[in-house]
Amino acid sequence: MAGTLSVLLIGLPWLGALLVWLSGDARPKILHILAVGTSVSAGLLSLILLAFAGSQPAVNFKFGGWFGDFTLVADGLGATLAAVACVVGSLAVIYSVDYMQGEAQLRRYYAFILLFIGAMTGLVLSGNLFFTFFFWEITALCSYALISYYNDDPKAVSGGMKALIITQVGGVGLLAGALAAFSNLGSFQIADLLKGATSIPAGLLAFIAYGFLLAAAAKSAQFPFHTWLPDAMEAPTPVSALIHAATMVNAGVYLLARFYPAFAQVPGWTLAVTLVGMLSALTAGLMALTATDLKRALAYSTVSQLGYMVYAIGVGGVFASQFHLLNHAVFKALLFLSAGAVIHSVGTRDMRKMGGLGSKMPFIRNVFIIGALALAGVPIFNGFWSKEFILEAGLKQGPVWAFGFMLFGAGLTAFYTIRMTWLVFYGQPREQLHVHDSGLAMKISTGLLATGALTTWLLAGPLSGLMSGSLPYHAIEPISTINLVMDVLTGAGTWLALIILLVGAGLWVVVQRSPNPIPQAHWFTELMGTFHEELVSSSFGFEWLNQQVVAAVKKSAAVLQKTQTGELNWNILGIIIALLAVLVMLFWGV
Amino acid sequence: MNISPLNVVLLVIIGLLAVGIYGLLITRNLIKIVLVLQILVKSAMLALVLAGKVGNNLGLGQSLAATVIVADTVVAVVGLALAVQVRRRFGTLDVADISTLRG
Repeated sequence: MAGTLSVLLIGLPWLGALLVWLSGDARPKILHILAVGTSVSAGLLSLILLAFAGSQPAVNFKFGGWFGDFTLVADGLGATLAAVACVVGSLAVIYSVDYMQGEAQLRRYYAFILLFIGAMTGLVLSGNLFFTFFFWEITALCSYALISYYNDDPKAVSGGMKALIITQVGGVGLLAGALAAFSNLGSFQIADLLKGATSIPAGLLAFIAYGFLLAAAAKSAQFPFHTWLPDAMEAPTPVSALIHAATMVNAGVYLLARFYPAFAQVPGWTLAVTLVGMLSALTAGLMALTATDLKRALAYSTVSQLGYMVYAIGVGGVFASQFHLLNHAVFKALLFLSAGAVIHSVGTRDMRKMGGLGSKMPFIRNVFIIGALALAGVPIFNGFWSKEFILEAGLKQGPVWAFGFMLFGAGLTAFYTIRMTWLVFYGQPREQLHVHDSGLAMKISTGLLATGALTTWLLAGPLSGLMSGSLPYHAIEPISTINLVMDVLTGAGTWLALIILLVGAGLWVVVQRSPNPIPQAHWFTELMGTFHEELVSSSFGFEWLNQQVVAAVKKSAAVLQKTQTGELNWNILGIIIALLAVLVMLFWGV
Repeated sequence: MNISPLNVVLLVIIGLLAVGIYGLLITRNLIKIVLVLQILVKSAMLALVLAGKVGNNLGLGQSLAATVIVADTVVAVVGLALAVQVRRRFGTLDVADISTLRG
């Protein structure tokens, strides 16, 4: 049963992608129906799969030879993430029915979204590192194609290219780590790597561990690779919600969580993970303060929240990170989708031009505020429980200085969240914008996600039971929801965090009340403006990484250009030399 | 080295191959290139017949050689047709002048 379901979860969206691609652009209605049908059925099946989760491979197809066995393992980690991918995926597709109404090349859009959903489930369910890498690269390609969906816009094209380049740097780390593991174990099976980690020589294991950390940081837009995610916001908003908030960027966190038991003993690895998470959470939080583009502000907050998850893994709280991942996927998808409704309605992403929209689109305002409160970590909303749980883990098991910085980050989160909400929905309208209310499909998907943002924390108990039961190497203690609630409420970290959060929120009120409100000249804006120009626009100077890669590729192309003489005789000489080389190799039996 | 008929044939094959490759490397006229290509292929054809003789499977070698004749003719025809088009379009048959693929 689990086997059939796992195959269907990959196959159904891919079949949908193929059908959408074949049906052509002429009748958009068929495209909408096909996309919604396949993605929603995949979403429902993924929920059923949760009931059949187990640590044994659900599918075992023998490729033979070098590839080994193609296995799909629906364990707690994989099945949960597959459910997130399929459910949020289907909601994003439903939302697209309204958002992408009347777009010219709808089949390109839907085909890539469905291809992505299938690849994402494959990535998290695969029990074979080689195929994990295979699916990993498909998700990167889909992300690239969808960021550059508006391919007549140079910003969208360069944003997609940048995302592709940086995630490829990470892909190299994953492939190198997988090959290193294969060279020692003779198998690509993830279970073999987890089991045999202690028998791998320390140096090689460190190589694998840091290779995977590189892959995870690039994929999850973590420090120092955090520069690609804000530029990826040129994508249509449902894509940002699905790929760049709820699923693909979680792949890095998933990778770290999956291999934590194998790498925890590598010297310095957990500290490196903690540092990466902490720096991402802080720098991205600061950048979110100054953003004026609504989607970029959300993108920075995604980097920052992913930083919290990475930090949680660094201090050993694998379950806390996965719990926050689930909650974050729900409330961040909600924030993106409701922000998309605003953008779709007013036609700009600039928060300085918005303001006072709340009374004109009350439904969207309400669901956005639910998402914002969850992001800020206000009690009862799902983000509160998981963030406090992470902070608890950090206080108990991690270094104190890191915990302090993460507390500061929580205050930052509250501050920029309130700023964002205020600028969009409250205050005086700063420009005359034509506003129309959102459509039914948008309301359905944001409404469902808002319900999720209020309730998914209740799943903590079942989720921990599922993970402790099906992950033999992770040593996750099952904890019931009640115990988790008591843990969080009695923890010292929670109250500290709430105070910091209040300070952050209060600071906004002070800034807001002082004589000149935000958009005009004002001490806060001026301070932030200098800060913005000096540091944030170059992503704290890490923008050069992307530029170096681009420059190196261009330079090598210029050098290699000289070999393209365009003369037939030289080409024939090349062919003959290559032929001789092959003959010599065959002769020597290399 | 005793000079048996088979060795003579082998020498002829190597000779034709060398002439063909040398011709391909130095020729600049398109029609001549088609010509030296023919010489090159003839050496391969001869090698097939020789292999049939040595391997005691003369019929197979000969039939493969006949197949090569057919395929080879097609190559020559297409090559010459391309040469005609190149002459019309570029006004020359010199391959050094037809280097629009220069990087």
